Parts: sequence; structure tokens; C-alpha cells
Amino acid sequence: MSRTLNVVRLQLINKQTFIWVPLIVLCAAVLMSVLIYAMIPGNEPKYGGGGQAPLWVFFAVGLSAMTLTFPFSQAMSITRREFFVGTMITAILGSVFMGVLFLIGGAIEMLTDGYGINGYVFHLPWLWEAGPLGAFIVYFTLALFFFVVGFTGATIYKSWGPVVVTVVGIGLALVLIGLVFLVTRLEIWDQVWQSVGDLGALGLALWGLVVVAVLSLVSFLAFRRAKP
Amino acid sequence: MTAVIEVQNLTKHYKDTNALDNVTLSIEGGAIYGLLGRNGAGKTTLMSILTAQNFATSGDVRVFGEHPYENSRVLSRMCFVRESQKYPDDATPRHAFKAASLFFTNWDQALADRLIDDFQLPMKQTIKKLSRGQLSAVGVIIGLASRAELTFFDEPYLGLDAVARQIFYDRLIEDYAEHPRTIILSSHLIDEVSNLIERVIVIDNGKILVNEETDAMRDRAVTVVGDAAKVDAWASGREVLHREELGRVASITVLGHLSADERAGVAASGLDLAPVSLQQLIVRLTQKASADSAAPTHESQEVR
Repeated sequence: MSRTLNVVRLQLINKQTFIWVPLIVLCAAVLMSVLIYAMIPGNEPKYGGGGQAPLWVFFAVGLSAMTLTFPFSQAMSITRREFFVGTMITAILGSVFMGVLFLIGGAIEMLTDGYGINGYVFHLPWLWEAGPLGAFIVYFTLALFFFVVGFTGATIYKSWGPVVVTVVGIGLALVLIGLVFLVTRLEIWDQVWQSVGDLGALGLALWGLVVVAVLSLVSFLAFRRAKP
Repeated sequence: MTAVIEVQNLTKHYKDTNALDNVTLSIEGGAIYGLLGRNGAGKTTLMSILTAQNFATSGDVRVFGEHPYENSRVLSRMCFVRESQKYPDDATPRHAFKAASLFFTNWDQALADRLIDDFQLPMKQTIKKLSRGQLSAVGVIIGLASRAELTFFDEPYLGLDAVARQIFYDRLIEDYAEHPRTIILSSHLIDEVSNLIERVIVIDNGKILVNEETDAMRDRAVTVVGDAAKVDAWASGREVLHREELGRVASITVLGHLSADERAGVAASGLDLAPVSLQQLIVRLTQKASADSAAPTHESQEVR
């Protein structure tokens, strides 16, 4: 177990990857959003999607955790299981950190009435419907989801090559299109939107956690045979 | 002594080649081994499988009596320094050594610091910006300072200049004398490491050609120097590995062990015995093996 926890320390030896880069991207996104809001005339509340910017960093971090940190971990004589579990713990910690930042950002926006210009990056009404904890879980899940997608994609790439990654990507796209086709054919779009609305952001996030768990399992099974 | 590594009928098959072809090998602890062979002979593949970084197609591998795959008891006692080791994108040498200190229980920071000095390694640059030689130095330092019971160096010297290579060899011998362990050094620079290695393992085309003590290996052949006519007469009927001539002086390397009587005879006839270059010997044996493999004869059996 101590070796697994050391993997967490290994991932965090360089604070840049999991902490500073996402933080800088987030601050930059907020700054840009506020500048743009300030240019928009009128006093109605302004909402934007700048808060998703650091999530892409997590995608890249997940990717490089597999392609670069994994080969290095092999040189440190770490087992694949130790590396996988330790890296997932690090990703969870990083996602918690992002969730907390999101809450702090939301609190600042509430206290300052949207930076004094009624503009919001974090405090989006739909996300905060279920209160601060709900908002935290939504953002936490998104960050973790992006990380796991990056890591799984890179694992599949390393194990079976670019063709398989492309085929899996196309396969997933076809499944989605198939679902859209079904819903359209059965003429149940109203019910679908209804239930998405009923689930709310929190409900969707909880389902998202299930997806994350399934993806992690797939990723681990592929990762067990990965070569550095 | 007990075997640290045991390999039984190990085969690794890639798309169109056998990187390892039914290899059976036993390596005892407490020595420095030279793992020698041409590019693509199977050296890296063998070391990768022994450290569970790669997977065998068939056959069995035991390190410290157990299979190394997903086995932290075994892995934690090993260190494998790869020629093309990858590091995290934004890592500096300082980060890499910090990580190594977390995972190698015998890690010696004082030794690492001394080596950093020796190699004049910049500690604050990211590893991806280091020169090829500095990159090799990072691996060498991890391999030496980790002081793992079983350490593999795979061509660790790429890009290192002659001075830096000598530093590596000197530090390796010094530290090995104080902390005996098993070191497996794969190298192309055979003559450079020939004074370092106690045993020689030669691998060619995925097969083990030689696994014996360096001195015994040297005894397999002898070089005779002297008047060309006399040397040729002496060598007739023997298996010549190599012949060089300069003016009227010839130097001939022949396969086979010389008895004390034969040595005395050589000296009496006015010829000199010269040491055989390990590199020459291995080059000839490897060439001979590939020539023989076209039509397998008793020779290839004898060489093995």
C-alpha cells in the first residue's frame, strides 16, 4: 500500500501538472470571461462556459499520465496495479481540488454579484440547483471523467495502436447516433428532455460517476498488458 | 551460490521474427555480467521480460524465485535502466531522483549527489531539454544510486563522452566492491567493458551463444604474433578467427585452448603470445554462428 501512496507522491512531485497548470488555465478563463462580459451592454445576468477550460487540461494530464509517467514508473520498478491505483487516487485528489476551486469561484460570484457586472462563470443556475454540494459533485465528476477518458484513450492507443483508437472512437459515435435515431424514430424526445430535466445536473453527474467507474475498469483491464 | 534469474524455454515472438528463441538461462547472483550481442539480438527484449515490462510469448521466467509480473516483492529489488527511458514531460533530474528515492529502498542520496557532480548534470532543466549524454547520465545515476540487488543497464552510455564513460565504469566498480550485488550490463563497446565484467553472456538472433566466465572466454582463443611464415606454419590445421599482417610480421588469432606445453612450444619457436581482444573473439563467434545457422553443424553445438 505504501508503494501505491508513493505513486501519488510521484505524480505530485512536480506540482505543475495537477495543480498549477489547471489553476492558471482556470484563472485565465475567468479573466477572459469577465473581460468579455464587461463589453456586453445591458444589465441582465451573463453566463458563459469558461469554467470548462481546465477540464481539457485534465484530459491532457490523463493522456500524459499514461504515455510518459507510466514508462517512468516502470523504471521505478512499480507494478502496473500500484501505478494505476495511485494515479487514480491522484486524479481523484486533483478533481476534488478542481471542485473546491469551483465552489470558491461560485462563492466569489455570489458575494460580488458577478464581479460587479452580473457575469457568471461558476455560478450557473442549472449546476447549482442542488446546492453547493451538488455543484461540487458535478464539477468533480467532469474533471475525473476527462482524466479517465484521456488515460483510457492513451492506454488503448499504446496497447493496440492508432487504428483501434479510431475504430473505438467511430464505434462510440455510431452508438450515439444510433441512440439519437432510436429516440427520433420512437418520437420520445419530449420524454427524454423531461427526464434529463428531472435528473438535474446532479443526477446526471451521479450517472457520470457510474460511467467513470466503468471506463476505469475497462482502462485497468487494458492497462494490465500495457508496455512502456 | 543460488540463481537470481532462471529462464526456461523463453520465446518472444514479434510479427515476423523471434526476438527470443527458446532461451534457457540461469544467472547466479553477486557478479557483473556483460550481456553482449548485435543490435536486434534480443538483449533489450530479454531484460524487459525479466523486469516484467514486456511479456513472453511462451516459456517461464523466475527472478529471486518468483515470477516478476505484478510482483512488487520482486520488482522492488530490481532496477532497469533503459537506453530510451521516457520521463514525464515537465520533470527535471531533481524530480526523477526524488521519485527514485521513494521507490528504491537502498537509494543512496550521497552517491547520487556525487555522481551529479561528476557528470556535471544540470538539475533545474527539464529532462526533455537535456543533451543525449546528459539524458544517459540521469539513467546511470538512477541505476547506481538505487543500489538495487539486481540492476540492468541497457546501453547506458549513449552520448556519453569517453571521460564520462570512464567515470561510469570507475564508480560502478567502486560501488560494487563496497556493495556487492548483481549487475547486468548490456553493451556494444565490448573492449571497454571487458575489464569490468566477470561473466559474458552472448546473445545472437534470440539464442544464447555463450554464458561463461570472461577469463574462460578469453582462453577459448589465442593470438600468436611473429614472423609471418612461422606463424602461418604454426597455425596450419587450426581454426583461424582472424589474421593481420604488417610487413613480415603476422598476427593470427586461432580458436582453441593452448596447454602449458603448447605455450612453451610457441615461445621456443620465437613467436609471441598476445592477449585476445574480447571484442574480436565475440565478433568472430557471432559471425561463425550466423554462418553455421544456415547449415547447422557440430560447430554451433560446440560453441553453445
